[in-house]
Amino acid sequence: MVAKSAEQSENVETPRVAWLMGLAAWAVPGLGHLLQKRWVRGLLLGGGVWVMFITGLALGGHLFTVSSKDQGLAALVQFLPMSANVGTGLLYLMCWITNTGFAEQAHRLTYEYGNTFLLVAGLLNYLAALDAFDIAAGRKE
Amino acid sequence: MRHVFWMAIFAGLTGVVFGAVAKGTDRQRLIYGLKVFAEFMAIAFILGWILYFLPIR
Repeated sequence: MVAKSAEQSENVETPRVAWLMGLAAWAVPGLGHLLQKRWVRGLLLGGGVWVMFITGLALGGHLFTVSSKDQGLAALVQFLPMSANVGTGLLYLMCWITNTGFAEQAHRLTYEYGNTFLLVAGLLNYLAALDAFDIAAGRKE
Repeated sequence: MRHVFWMAIFAGLTGVVFGAVAKGTDRQRLIYGLKVFAEFMAIAFILGWILYFLPIR
């Protein structure tokens, strides 16, 4: 009986809208929750990520990218923080298109703080995207 | 002082996001967010003092 209900719950298909909400939440921080009318949660999550990202840039942090110059292990070393930065979705893409925030400013006192803010903004937005996905899929209230 | 300020901002923003994605009632999530903030601050101060006494300069 228990095994049967567990099997049934595994077979429940994830609604397509859940993937869209997750994608929207990743692309624009807070959007996935706002589209589901979770106003307060959307503003808190989106606001937190946006403020963290903008503060990171203002503190002199830089975004990571993998360029053709990076080979082997050097590429991997760049790839890991880049994947964290990419978590901010279109914010990262806009910076990449306009070439904003990729220059290192190691002479600034708050440079490392800026890097940390930018990395964690992306990671927190991944968390927010998963939350939006779970809400849309009915796995969370 | 500037470092403590930015550390507090970081802990505050992280606490807000963690509290927002947490499960439970609004009150439970508020308490969880505050707890995350307090833990970040406390651990940073503890690590700061430990590193202060280590001869690693």
